Amino acid sequence: MTGKELGDVIVEAHGICKRFPSGVLALNNFSLTVRSGEVVVVVGPSGAGKSTFLRCLNGLEDVDEGSIVIDGALLDHTKANRQKIRTEVGMVFQAFNLFPHLTVRENIDLAQVLVRRKSRKEATRTTMELLERIGLADKASAYPAQLSGGQQQRAAIARAVAMKPAVMLFDEATSALDPEMVGEVLEVMKGLAKDGMTMLVVTHEMGFAREVGDRVVFMESGRMVEDGPVESFFTAPREERTRVFLSQIL
Amino acid sequence: MRRGRGVKITALDAFILLALLGFGVFLAYRVEVGVSYHWRWEAIPKYLIRCDPSSGRWRPNLLLNGLFTTIRLSIWAALPALCIGTAAGLWRTSRSFPMRMLGGAYVELIRNIPPLVLVFIFYFFLSDQIMAALDLEERIRSSSAGTKEAFALLMAPPERLSGFISGVLTLGLYEGAYIAEIVRAGIRSVDKGQWEASQALGFSRRGQLQHVILPQAFSNILPPLAGQFISIIKDSAIVSVVSIPELTFQGMELMASTYLTFEIWITITVMYFLLGFACSLAVKRLESRMRKD
Repeated sequence: MTGKELGDVIVEAHGICKRFPSGVLALNNFSLTVRSGEVVVVVGPSGAGKSTFLRCLNGLEDVDEGSIVIDGALLDHTKANRQKIRTEVGMVFQAFNLFPHLTVRENIDLAQVLVRRKSRKEATRTTMELLERIGLADKASAYPAQLSGGQQQRAAIARAVAMKPAVMLFDEATSALDPEMVGEVLEVMKGLAKDGMTMLVVTHEMGFAREVGDRVVFMESGRMVEDGPVESFFTAPREERTRVFLSQIL
Repeated sequence: MRRGRGVKITALDAFILLALLGFGVFLAYRVEVGVSYHWRWEAIPKYLIRCDPSSGRWRPNLLLNGLFTTIRLSIWAALPALCIGTAAGLWRTSRSFPMRMLGGAYVELIRNIPPLVLVFIFYFFLSDQIMAALDLEERIRSSSAGTKEAFALLMAPPERLSGFISGVLTLGLYEGAYIAEIVRAGIRSVDKGQWEASQALGFSRRGQLQHVILPQAFSNILPPLAGQFISIIKDSAIVSVVSIPELTFQGMELMASTYLTFEIWITITVMYFLLGFACSLAVKRLESRMRKD
């Protein structure tokens, strides 16, 4: 994946600090820039602030300090701004969070109609195309509870992709899955990366990071420890802390 | 003896059952001998149903009419109760402090006043003003016979309409406070991930509530909501104090003119019980059907 043509800056987080009410400093002067088409994998021990960082990018968490710019728009506290930025940022959760009272098709249609103001017919066309691509077309009228974890997560990815976001965030998308279902979800993510989707991926799947990632960011205690191209990150990490971490998980 | 859900009676159970039986016999004896009450059950049926001498058709009489009014009252009261309750339940889970306070104030106010006092306050202070402003009675009276009949069938005849509507609103306001708590619990029962997922997709709060949160909340709280409807039926008896001719009011009227105290109240008890129990069974069926889904 090296030598990929990189475009405009899509995500620019600058000097983010986030302290939880409990007093824990989850993000400590953290900065990161992601360009269009890039796949950035965020790794680090649990409690490093990886998920918190992703959640700050679409305003699910408020930052205490620092600025976030998504596709040229500064994230602020106004409702309209947040809603607009959230439509440009797709998010995939560890727990899928599909809407259990709606079928797979309705799950994917809903935001297109409600937020993107598409007609129901147009939305369904997009939905069916996506379902076809991820191999779930036959599950369009099934309810989430009738699907396996892997199928649910694929549908959840489709739901976010259907909004045609500028960037997709994956918050440990495979951590809640049984091992045999991890592969099918990673396949879908690989497909997205191949299509040029800008992606920020928090994961423990180092194989995926190596194969699909352009850059790897290593975080610890809310700080950036190392940020570099995939190949050198795994073979020749600069920081001692990164070396220790890699030796523990590889 | 059957296995599984078989009935097993221990010595203690038998003792308790015998004691209860003995108490029942004693009570019957007191009524029969001690009070020397003269039972006249044969007088009751004609207050349930009577034969119209002019047309020769059977028509419901006071008690049955009272039961129908109770049912009409309960069904109509369920509407404002659900609307007010949903609104107040939403306010109580709102992010805005004034809204939360407003919802909380309503629920606490209603739950800490005796319903009887609430009926009087609402009837004498509020409904007079509201009804006068609406001028409803006059409007109904001057409308066509068909409209009048429809109103009489679905709510109350024109001369009693304003009282009926006051009763509906009072009852709705009262039950709304309890429904608000049920709705609040329902909203709380929806997983946090549902809020986050819809938020992340760019939904407005209204869109989140309408399409994601409330549909799930309501399917979670359907059984307690249906249970609250049974409470509405039971609580509807309180509006008898403002002369709405529902079952309890009819019973009191009838008792005053016939002195059939025991017969009438036993009959009314059975009528309320059958109505409530029927609804209860329906709720149970609903619950078990939902569990299957």
